[in-house]
This record gives sequence, C-alpha cells and structure tokens, in this order.
Amino acid sequence: MRKRFAAAMMAAMMAVGALSGCGGSQKTSHTQAAGTAQEGTEAETTETESESPKESVELIVFAAASMTETLTEIAKMYKEVRPEVEIVYTFDSSGTLKTQIQEGADCDIFISAAQKQMNQLDMAADPSVNTEGLDFVLEGSRLNLVENKVVLAVPQDNPAGISSYEDLGTDKLNLICLGNDDVPVGAYSIEILESLGILEQLERDAKITYGSNVKEVTTQVKEASVDCGIIYATDAFSAGLTVVDQADEDQCGQVIYPAAVLNISKHQEEAQAFLDYLTTADCAAVFESVGFSMAK
Amino acid sequence: MDWYPLYNSLRIALISSVIVFFTGIFAAYYIARLNRVVKGILDVILTLPMVLPPTVVGYFLLLLLGARRPVGMWFQEQFGIKLVMTWYSGIFASAVVAFPLMYRTARGAFESFDETLAYSGQTLGLSNTYIFWRIRMPACRQGILAGAVLSFARALGEYGATSMLAGYTPGKTATISTTVYQLWRTDNEALAFQWVVINVMISAVVLLTVNMLERKNRKEGR
Repeated sequence: MRKRFAAAMMAAMMAVGALSGCGGSQKTSHTQAAGTAQEGTEAETTETESESPKESVELIVFAAASMTETLTEIAKMYKEVRPEVEIVYTFDSSGTLKTQIQEGADCDIFISAAQKQMNQLDMAADPSVNTEGLDFVLEGSRLNLVENKVVLAVPQDNPAGISSYEDLGTDKLNLICLGNDDVPVGAYSIEILESLGILEQLERDAKITYGSNVKEVTTQVKEASVDCGIIYATDAFSAGLTVVDQADEDQCGQVIYPAAVLNISKHQEEAQAFLDYLTTADCAAVFESVGFSMAK
Repeated sequence: MDWYPLYNSLRIALISSVIVFFTGIFAAYYIARLNRVVKGILDVILTLPMVLPPTVVGYFLLLLLGARRPVGMWFQEQFGIKLVMTWYSGIFASAVVAFPLMYRTARGAFESFDETLAYSGQTLGLSNTYIFWRIRMPACRQGILAGAVLSFARALGEYGATSMLAGYTPGKTATISTTVYQLWRTDNEALAFQWVVINVMISAVVLLTVNMLERKNRKEGR
C-alpha cells in the first residue's frame, strides 16, 4: 500500500514539475524573445570585434513583418557594398517591435509599417500620439521609405467566391482573418470595414479571427483556414495568393513605411549609411519587384 | 464582461480531459504489457507532446487537420465540417498536449499495482473486464485521479497549439489563454489582468484538489 501511494505521488509530482516548467518558459519566451536575441548577437559582436583587426559592425534592424523577403534580399546585396557590416533582422508586427524597443531591446534601425508606431517613439511627434513621451528616434534620420497597398486576399481557387470588400457584408463570408488593432494592417482593415459600415455586424456574427501579425494572417489564408484575409499587396505577392480587391486611399489612407535610426544605437553612422542605401535605385528595384512603391 | 472565454475554455478542457482519461488509461494498460523495445518506442512517441513546445504540436496538427491537408480535407468532403478555426479545434490541441500527463500517471499507478490481486481474481473465475474495473482501477484510483486533474489543468492552460489551430475569434474560438494574449497585445491591461486572476484561481483550485487527493492517499496508506 505504502509503495503504491509513493509511486502515485511521485508520478503526480513529476507531472506538476513538468507543468509549471512549461508555463514558466512560455511566459518568458513571449516577453524576452527579443532580449535573448540581442544578448546572443551582442556576444557575437564582441567576439568578431576581437578577432578581426578590420572593424566589423553588427547592425540590428527591427522591421515590419511584411518586409521580410525584400530586406533579407537587400542584406545580401549590402554584403557586397559594405562587407564589414553585418545586418541582423528581427521581423515582427510593428506594434510588437515598438514595445520591444520601449522595453530596452538593442536596436539600431526601426522600420515600421505605419506612422503610428514610429510616432510613439519620436519626441518630435505630437504628444497626443507619443503619449508616453518616448524619445528613441535619432533627430533628422527619419524618412518615409516605401508605400504599400492593403488588399483582400483569398486562398487558391477562392472556395467562398469572395470578389470584393463589399462581399464581406454578405452570406458568402464565414470567416475572415485580420490583424488585431495593434498590428498596422489590422488597424487599416478596421478602417476599411468601418468605411463600409460592416465591422460591427461581422464582430456580432463572430466572423473575424485575429492574427498577431501580417504573416500569421497570410498563412491562415494560404492554408484556407479562413475564407479571406486583409493583408498587404506585398505579402499576397510573396505567398502567391490571389488578390481580389484593393483598398483606395480614402478607405484607409496611404500606407507609408517610415524608417529611422534610433538614438540608442551604438553605430549611428553605419546605421545612417544603411538607411541611405535603402533609398538607392538598387533597393528600389527590390522593393518594387514585390509590389512596394517608393514613398515620395 | 464577456464570459465566453471562460465557458469555452472550460468546455474544451472538460471534453479533452474526458477523451484523455479513457485513451490515456487504455494506452497505459496495454502498453505496460508489451515487450521492452516496442514499449520504449511507444513511450517516447506518446510522451513527446509533453516536452515539445506547443507550437510544434500545433504545427504537426495543422499538417494533418488543415483545410488543405489530408485529414482536414477528408472530413470536409465526407461531413462538410472544418476541423480548424472552430471552437472544437481547441479540443484536438488540448487533448494531444494533455494526453502524456494522463498516460504517464496512469502507467505509474498500474506499474505499482500488485499483480497477485489480479491473479487471485482470475482463480476465482472473474472476467478480465471485471478485474480491470472493480479491482485494478479502484486500487490505482489515486494516481489515476491525480492524472485526470492534472490533464484537465494542462488542457485549460493550453495556448500555443490552440492559437494555431483555432485562432482567436471573439465569441467563437476565444479561450482564456488566447484572450489574455490578445488583450495584452492590444494594450487592454486592466481586462487582461482580470482574466489572469480568474485563470490563477481556477488553477489554484485544481492543484489544491491534487494535494487533497494525495493527503487522503497518505492517510489510507497508513
């Protein structure tokens, strides 16, 4: 009898241990993902610095998830121009990146998918937007990099037969995936649905599922888990999705991607040089190949 | 306050722990009598979901159940139902993640069961089913109950695989854990905190139950 309960207790205790371990690691992985990434890269920087006499620099670039393909391509090109500069990217929703910068993540350049997140970090911006009085943007470095379009994308063969934003108010739609309102594309989506006057109806019918960045929305559409999704033209292009409608400027305004060097950067000169490089004709060609247009 | 996430979380956790209760016990019972090699292999496979990140589990499940994947397509064609992005998608995720807890605790309990009790039952002409339900299960009930409670707790807290399979549709697939994440992401800290408190209270009650089961067990042991 005693042996039996001891065994049962041990099994239960082991299970409890596994359980609590699991919960803990999950929590930290959310909030510290950026932190650990930076720790890793920092260690690498010091290593390479001590190894090579020619000063190699590591630039940490936080960029909107929708720029994943283009910026990765550009980093390869930059390797030819400035071999001593290593570009390290973190791609996520601009809202997440803004929070991570605010929480003290190491970052040299920030490229946001909307003005809002950049304004929230910019002392020069209106205090009604930069409500927390954050000062991260290096004066004079901020520029408008590219422009994107907000489109309605459907899975292959378009099973629900959705052909326009207006269709979202009809019975054709069972489930649409949007970014949540912390994600720029989610905020644009909400503006579009509001301008059509169908947002409340969709929420009431529980027809909206929220993704936490634009790539998640894209994947849900690609997997045909949802009938359609509102994403950027560039993400639809990269994922090979069919675009059935495109939002006008009066539906959600212009979609401008601002970029800036941060004043916490330890390599401000190199960061500025890379930012300048992004506006060259070579990079413009890369951006335009997936559907961005250069911001004027 | 919209209570839907609580209702949805509880029903997902309840249904998946019922599924896991039976599958876990039967897996534990039959695998315990297999030969060493097969037992070792099955043991690893069945315990993996406990140590793998839930996102990896979610990924595997999506490869099977997604609308364009084999099992998902079959269900769509045969029954016209979707397996992902619905409230019950959370059950698949929670059941797979919680299964190892039930399986391992039940196996631990079965292994410490005194087999001579089963043999004496057989000499008395009792059926194997009778021996299983009336002798083996009562003798192992503490371990099995602890496993059931723990798998319920784990199912209730499932986030990673659930968010990949069921997404976050307020009023449809939202659970406590996905709601907390979304509220935090959208800067709604006050409401997120309320859900956190609710979740902590439920989990505390569950763990208290486990402790009480153990104390009861100890008394009986003496």
